Amino acid sequence: MAVVHNFEYYKPLKLAETLKLLKKYGDKAKLLAGGTDLAVFIKEGVLFPEAVIDIKHVKELQKLELKKDGLFVGAQASFSDILESANIKKDYLLLWESARSVASVGIRNRATLVGNICSAVPSLDSGPALLCYDAVVHLASTKGEREVPISEWFLAPRRTAMKPDEIVTGVFIPKPKIKNAGCYLKLGRYGGEDLAQAGLGVFVNDKLEYKLAYCAVGPVPKRAAKIEKLLKGKALSTVLIAKAMSLVPEEIAPIADIRSGKEYRIHMCKIMLERGLEVCTERMKGKIIDTLRILGG
Amino acid sequence: MAKIKFILNNEMRTVDVEPNETLLDVLRDKMGVKSPKCGCDRGDCGACAVMIDGKSVRSCLVFAIEVNGQEVTTLEGISQPKLTKLQEAFIQFNSFQCGYCAPGVIISATELLNNNPHPDLEEIKEALSGNLCRCTGYQPIFEAIMDVSRKRKK
Amino acid sequence: MNKYKFVGKPIVRIDGREKVSGAAIYGDDIDFGPNLLYAEIVESTEAHAIIKSIDTSEAEKVEGVFKVFTGKDFPYKFGLYMKDRYIFAQDKVRFVGEQVAAVIGRTPQAAKKGAQLVKVEYKPLPVVTNQMDALKKDSVLLHPDLGEYPHVPWFFPKPKTNVAHWRKTRKGDLEKGFKEADLVFEDEYFVPRYAHCAIETHVAIGKYDLGGRLTVWSSSQSPHTQRHLFAEALAPMGLTHKDVRVIAPHVGGGFGGKAGVTMEIIPAALATKLKGYAVKLRWTRQQEFVNTYQRLGVVAKLKVGVKKDGTITALDHKIYWDAGAYVEYGANVVNAVGLSAIGPYRIPNVSIDSVCVYTNLPPGGAYRGFGYSEMLFGLESHMTQIAHKLGMDEVKFRLKNAIKEGDKTAYGADMNPNGLLECIEKVAKEIDWGKKIVSKDPKKAIGKGFSLFWKAPAMPPNASSSAFLKFNEDASINLIISGMDIGQGYQTVMAQIAAEVLSVPPSKIRVETPDTDRNPYEWQTVASHITWSSGNAVKKAAIDAKEQILALVERVFVIPKDQLYLEDEAVKCTTRKNFNLPLRDFVVNGIMTEDGTFKGGPINARGMFLPEFSSANSDPETSQGGHPNVHYTVGAGALILEVDKDTGKMHVIKAVEAIDAGQAINPDLIKGQITGGLLQGLATVLYEDMRYDEKGKLLNPNFTDYKIPTAMDVPDEIVPIIVEVPQPDGPFGARGIGEHTMLPAAPMIANAVEDAIGIRIKSMPFTAEKVAMAMLNLKNKKGK
Repeated sequence: MAVVHNFEYYKPLKLAETLKLLKKYGDKAKLLAGGTDLAVFIKEGVLFPEAVIDIKHVKELQKLELKKDGLFVGAQASFSDILESANIKKDYLLLWESARSVASVGIRNRATLVGNICSAVPSLDSGPALLCYDAVVHLASTKGEREVPISEWFLAPRRTAMKPDEIVTGVFIPKPKIKNAGCYLKLGRYGGEDLAQAGLGVFVNDKLEYKLAYCAVGPVPKRAAKIEKLLKGKALSTVLIAKAMSLVPEEIAPIADIRSGKEYRIHMCKIMLERGLEVCTERMKGKIIDTLRILGG
Repeated sequence: MAKIKFILNNEMRTVDVEPNETLLDVLRDKMGVKSPKCGCDRGDCGACAVMIDGKSVRSCLVFAIEVNGQEVTTLEGISQPKLTKLQEAFIQFNSFQCGYCAPGVIISATELLNNNPHPDLEEIKEALSGNLCRCTGYQPIFEAIMDVSRKRKK
Repeated sequence: MNKYKFVGKPIVRIDGREKVSGAAIYGDDIDFGPNLLYAEIVESTEAHAIIKSIDTSEAEKVEGVFKVFTGKDFPYKFGLYMKDRYIFAQDKVRFVGEQVAAVIGRTPQAAKKGAQLVKVEYKPLPVVTNQMDALKKDSVLLHPDLGEYPHVPWFFPKPKTNVAHWRKTRKGDLEKGFKEADLVFEDEYFVPRYAHCAIETHVAIGKYDLGGRLTVWSSSQSPHTQRHLFAEALAPMGLTHKDVRVIAPHVGGGFGGKAGVTMEIIPAALATKLKGYAVKLRWTRQQEFVNTYQRLGVVAKLKVGVKKDGTITALDHKIYWDAGAYVEYGANVVNAVGLSAIGPYRIPNVSIDSVCVYTNLPPGGAYRGFGYSEMLFGLESHMTQIAHKLGMDEVKFRLKNAIKEGDKTAYGADMNPNGLLECIEKVAKEIDWGKKIVSKDPKKAIGKGFSLFWKAPAMPPNASSSAFLKFNEDASINLIISGMDIGQGYQTVMAQIAAEVLSVPPSKIRVETPDTDRNPYEWQTVASHITWSSGNAVKKAAIDAKEQILALVERVFVIPKDQLYLEDEAVKCTTRKNFNLPLRDFVVNGIMTEDGTFKGGPINARGMFLPEFSSANSDPETSQGGHPNVHYTVGAGALILEVDKDTGKMHVIKAVEAIDAGQAINPDLIKGQITGGLLQGLATVLYEDMRYDEKGKLLNPNFTDYKIPTAMDVPDEIVPIIVEVPQPDGPFGARGIGEHTMLPAAPMIANAVEDAIGIRIKSMPFTAEKVAMAMLNLKNKKGK
């Protein structure tokens, strides 16, 4: 496709150099990691950056680091990097499943988790997982570094807490301390890759603490605090799950769009909650369940 | 305009590119490599798949300037010095019809078999889910991949 | 069992190596050097409007913009069956995306930048996007001059309305038929529009050289038809057919979308004003969705009468087609179905109204199935419903009424030999019909669905095919034909037919993509007629070659021709065991005789086929009298569907399709058509559809929101069954099957959904959302 808009291309090798460029260009610069969103936006005339800063070669922006207290997903870590890590699959299954639900191999080989949260589209698949793990976003600028809890990260569709001169260096995901289980359920229009009509991350631990987060059913991905409170400390029963399902309309604010009607989204968020809780219960018992076709189809 | 240098199908090549030129367009229009096809121009169809440093990517979503210093492989590179067992199996099982998606499908299937010599059917489906084929119904593609896998030593 | 050496065998495709190695050349792959120009189209933003002014001045200032053209430069009409379309919009636009102007650039960037700067001022007119609204008396008229449009004699436009064509078929006495019935059942069915979604978008390059000839390289199913329409439309420029040349490289998928002429006429016309240059136009995916043919939308009203014993006494089928802004090809879809909307049934009293309606949506046209998928969705849903109302098993009901050889079609001709009953029985057995499956998962329900299908090639009565065949020194063969291998395996099948006659293996036969200068005439690669029609021409060409060879041998060796035969690339003799004359010894250089002279010479052969029995002449009020369809291909399908009762998601566990191919020339390729066609059909019922807003704008012109199936969406198992009741006038008995494989998909799903969860859905597609919400509504109703 003929791309009409042109730009300056920079390939910094050091973070300091990157930050200087960001300071110079401000919001007229766009950072390029995987480029799977950015390239489309530039080609289709949605974005017109003056400068594109390719951060794939910045030394300090590592890929993945598994630490004792958690996982650091660097700005260069692609979804494929996450999926190829057996440790992530073992310790952060919810994150792993959400990564698997992103597009397809050829996209996941390029697209990064950090890029995903910077795009901040309502349907972003990594949102629920990071919310359930209470992740922390690490930012840097020429003024220094700062951290933002993921719960304060998403402000509105396509808007985050990041300032124009900042870069996300990575996301830290604390390691859950006690036995736990999680899953990510994604509702799409068919079996192939799709933008989520609705997404749900479910996390539960041995103390019967539940964490639930939805995406694509409100302006930003969001935890379902009322349902979490209802379930806290309780063992699941049919009655309790039904009660939790009845709270779903209070937790989400879906719209009707080309991908789904509003009513179906509400209905499915209930069903997904029911099935997500069932999967986690079984997984707590050590059962191996594939969630790929858990919603049928 | 910037000069970039990268290995294309085992040969070091240099080419002048504008920053906004996609790898797909540069390969096809400036370097004479035509197997990557344009089907959607936004990463949905997989017809433009090539490998960068052994990993499949959508060349319509990569700016050519990004691959400076890297190694790019297209179907032309895979087909030399002779067709691979996978390509031979594609012929045997009728795993293509119009052939337009075949370069991308073979890139994805080659990557899968490189990473996972004996994939199960679900793994094959998942690995190919980003390559749209309107003709075959995919079953003949699965059969070709499974045949190659079966004939490999475990 | 098989009496043939190459026919009926699963020969590997002769185009395999080039396609799996990336060597195959498609339209966009051809290099034209640095002097190539690029066209970018300015598209209408309005669905219906008067063009008040076009200001191209800013575009012309862009560096690299070579020229800008508008409709004024090309006041020419074109069209396959009805000339209702202009190369560029003239005074009016009639759909969003219609071509209004073209900017020619030295680079694609310059052209695109220029196109963004062309200012078009519109005066909006009322917009009608629905065929039922367009039929109303007070509707805005799309084509006030409809009465003056040239069209084929078998179309019946209604001037001063939006009805572009009305095909009426009447047989027997409808009223009497309904009176005889014990049960009369009426219902309505809705089918939206669909897109072909070949992975290759349309591309064409036109070049009008300084010598005065026009060459067009085009991704096309119809090179000769394109040449004809280009020559016709551009005749005012002084072009004749011999001056126009169409070269068709490999096609990256067709499905009907690359039949006839759509965007290809734009670079052809532009080239005539850009003498000496080649100019290229390639559709983006978005343009591909908007400005090519689309499958027409349908509202169908069905009324069927039956006796208690299951005999169908009468059928009243009214089909209203949303045919879009121009119907030059689409009206023939309407026509074809108007002749065949009784389906593969024996019905004595019939009334069919197939009404082609203009709307302000993109032009409708050929799409794999040519209207039969849309028609069969309603008809086969209806047949199941009526069988249930009678309390009769739906397969038994179909067996009772299925059409047989010699039964009369709706227009009065005899039905051709066919294996429909065999198809039904084999499918029923394979799917274990009548045995209910209960899911082990309480969240799921399982149902079975059944459907019959039939389709005839829709073509003018004089659509023809021809073939040249020439031998090379080593007795390899160049088979020169003009059908297109759009993926179905045409080249391989034609090679098999020639191979069978000449006893030369298909691997020694080369078939190339055509060039209208050098290849003989072929109407089009459409209608699933190419195996049958082109196959007949190829067979005749091969027989011609064989005759030449045997005549030569007879002359030189003085052996009566009837004692000579071809085997293993040699001429042999029934009376002289040791006689063995390899073809390679003489098919080019002749046979040397005792005195050193040579007899014979290069063997060059030809073959031609035109169905001389076909006629479109019939009574416009009843369609009785002619023989518009050469034959029908029939079949049956069934599937097992699993439905998630909460989420509405559906999964095909097993699908079976039996099709009567007459004689399978290559069974593997037929199986390929079944696995591919069936999935394409399933997608139309499960998730695909084109969504327009009320202003006629397409909301999902990309694969992000128009979902075509992926590897994750295939049935667990597909069982293809080939039935062979020979077609007497087909090559070795063969008839076409390409389109048919997708025909039963929608009614099979509709019938299986009802079997699984008791809900009848009558509007496509059956998204998971639609099924889940229907279940939820049912639950809520029961709750009350």
